[in-house]
Amino acid sequence: MIVFDNVTKRYPGSIDAISNASFTIEQGELVYVTGHSGAGKSTLLKLMAAIERPTNGTVLINNQNVSKLKEATLPFIRRKFGLVFQDHKLLYDRNCFQNVALPLAINGITGQEAAKRIRAALDKVGLLGREKSMPITLSGGEQQRLAIARAVVSKPSILIADEPTGNLDKNYAEDILALFKAFQQVGVTVIIATHDALGRTDADNQTGHEITHHENKVLHLNQGKLINPTNSEVIV
Amino acid sequence: MKTWLIHHMQALRLVLSRFQKNRLGTLLICLSIGVTLALPSVAYIILDNLNGLVSSVKSESQISVFLTEKHDTALVSGIEKILKQNPAIQNVIFVSKQDALEQLTAIDANKSLLDSLQGNPLPDAFFVEPKMLDATSIESLKNELSKIQGVETVLVDGVWIKRLNSLLFLGKKILIILAGLLGFALIAVIGNTIRMQVLTQSAEIELSRLIGATKSFIRRPFLYVGGLYGLGGGALALMITWVMILFFNQTIKAIANSYQSDFNLHFLSFAEILVVLIISTALGWISAYFSLSSSAKRT
Ligand SMILES: Nc1ncnc2c1ncn2[C@@H]1O[C@H](COP(=O)(O)OP(=O)(O)O)[C@@H](O)[C@H]1O
Ligand SMILES: [Mg+2]
Repeated sequence: MIVFDNVTKRYPGSIDAISNASFTIEQGELVYVTGHSGAGKSTLLKLMAAIERPTNGTVLINNQNVSKLKEATLPFIRRKFGLVFQDHKLLYDRNCFQNVALPLAINGITGQEAAKRIRAALDKVGLLGREKSMPITLSGGEQQRLAIARAVVSKPSILIADEPTGNLDKNYAEDILALFKAFQQVGVTVIIATHDALGRTDADNQTGHEITHHENKVLHLNQGKLINPTNSEVIV
Repeated sequence: MKTWLIHHMQALRLVLSRFQKNRLGTLLICLSIGVTLALPSVAYIILDNLNGLVSSVKSESQISVFLTEKHDTALVSGIEKILKQNPAIQNVIFVSKQDALEQLTAIDANKSLLDSLQGNPLPDAFFVEPKMLDATSIESLKNELSKIQGVETVLVDGVWIKRLNSLLFLGKKILIILAGLLGFALIAVIGNTIRMQVLTQSAEIELSRLIGATKSFIRRPFLYVGGLYGLGGGALALMITWVMILFFNQTIKAIANSYQSDFNLHFLSFAEILVVLIISTALGWISAYFSLSSSAKRT
C-alpha cells in the first residue's frame, strides 16, 4: 500500500525534516503519526501523499515509486488520497457545497452525479443542512467537518488528516475521531497526525507502545526520526 | 475524449459564471481591447478602399511624347532607341497615328466628330512610363525629352495616381507596424489582467494542486478567460469600426457626389470579419498563456 524505505527529506537550507524512515502501511489500517511540533509529521504526510518527493530513499504508493514518476503523473497519484490539511484550506469565497465540489470537478465529475455525492459527503459529517452556508459562518468543529467532507467526497482509499483535532475542544475532537474510525470500518486506510498523541500531552518521552487501547499503528517522530519503526504496533 | 470534453465544458461554465459575477469589469476590458483593435481596422478599411479606387482608375501615370508631323520611320526608330536607353524610363510604347485613329473611331461617340474631319489630325506618339515619380525627376525627364529631335510636345499625366499608390504602400507598412505594436500592448494588458486573477485565486490554485489537479486543469479557465476577452474585444472592435465607417461615409458621400463619383467606404467582408475575430481571440489566448508561464510557480 504505502511503503517507506530509508526515506530522508531535506528542505533546501534546513536540517533533515525526516531522516531514514522505513515503514509499511497496509490497506485498511488506522495509523497515528505522533510527535512534538516540528518533529516532521506534516512532512511525513506530504511524502505519503506525493506532495513532496523524498531527498533520499524510496516511497512506494501502490507499488509506484514516487521519485521515479514524471511530474505530470503526480496529480493522478494524489487523487487516490483524501487530504485534511492542518490549516483546512477551505475556500472562503464559496459555500460549503462548492467547497466539497472541487475534488469532484478535478476528477471530471459534475452535474447531478456530483450533487448526489456532495450531499452524501455533507450528510456523513452532519452538515447536510448547511450546504448553502459560507465556511466563515461555521464553527471551528464544523469547518473541520467540512474539510473532511471535501476529503472523502471522491471516495479515496486513503484518508490523511494533519492534526484534525488540533484546535478543537475535547468533545469536538472525539466526534471527529469517531468519524475517522467510521471510515476505517468501511475499509479506508486512515492516517492521522496528532501532536498530543490523542490526549496525552507528553508524547516526547514515550514510545507508541504505551499509547492505547485501540488497535492502531503509531509512527512516533522525534526531530525527524522514527522512534518506533514498523513492527511496534497493535496493542489490544 | 469524453472527460476531455467535460473538462472543457466545465472550464467554460466556470469562466462564464465568473464573467457574470463581474460584468462591468469584463465589459471594460473587452471595451479597451475593442478600441485598440478598432484603430488598425479602420485604417485597414480606408487603405483597402483607396487601393480599390486607385486600381479602378485605368490611366497609368505616363509621359506622352508627341512627334512632329513630318518625319520618317528612321527618325521614329532613332527616338525609340534613345528612349529605351534612358535609365530614367521604365517602359516605352509607340502608338502610330493610324493606331490612334483606329482606337478613337472604335468608340461610337467619336464617330461623327471624326467624320467631319479630313485626314488624320493625330500625331505619332510615344507613351513613356517613368521610373521615378517625384516632381523633380519628372520635370527633368520632361525637359530632356522635349529636346530630342523630332519631338513636338511632351505631356505629363496620371503621375498623381502613382504617387498615391506609393503613399498607399507606405500606409500599408505603417499599418502593419501599428498593428504589431498595438498587438503587443494588448498582450501586456490582457496578460496583466489575468496575472491579477491568478493572484486573487491563488488559494484555490494551491489547493487544487495539492489534491491532484493537473496543470492544464488549473490553466484552462485562465486560457478561456483570455480567449473570451479577445473574442469580446474583437466583436466590439467590429462594432466600433462599423459605426465609424457609417459616420465617415456621410461626409465622403457628399464629397464624392461633387466629383460625380459614388465612392464610399465598404465595411469588411465576411472573411475579413472572421479574420478579425480569430486574431483577437488568438491574441487573448496567447496573452493568457504568456502570463501563466510567467507566473508558472503558482499555476
Ligand atoms: N516547506 C518547508 N521548507 C523548509 N523547511 C520546512 C518546510 N516545511 C517544514 N519545514 C521544516 O521541517 C521541519 C518539520 O516540519 P513539519 O513537518 O511541518 O513538522 P510538524 O508537522 O511535525 O510540526 C521543521 O523544522 C520545519 O521548519
Ligand atoms: Mg504540521
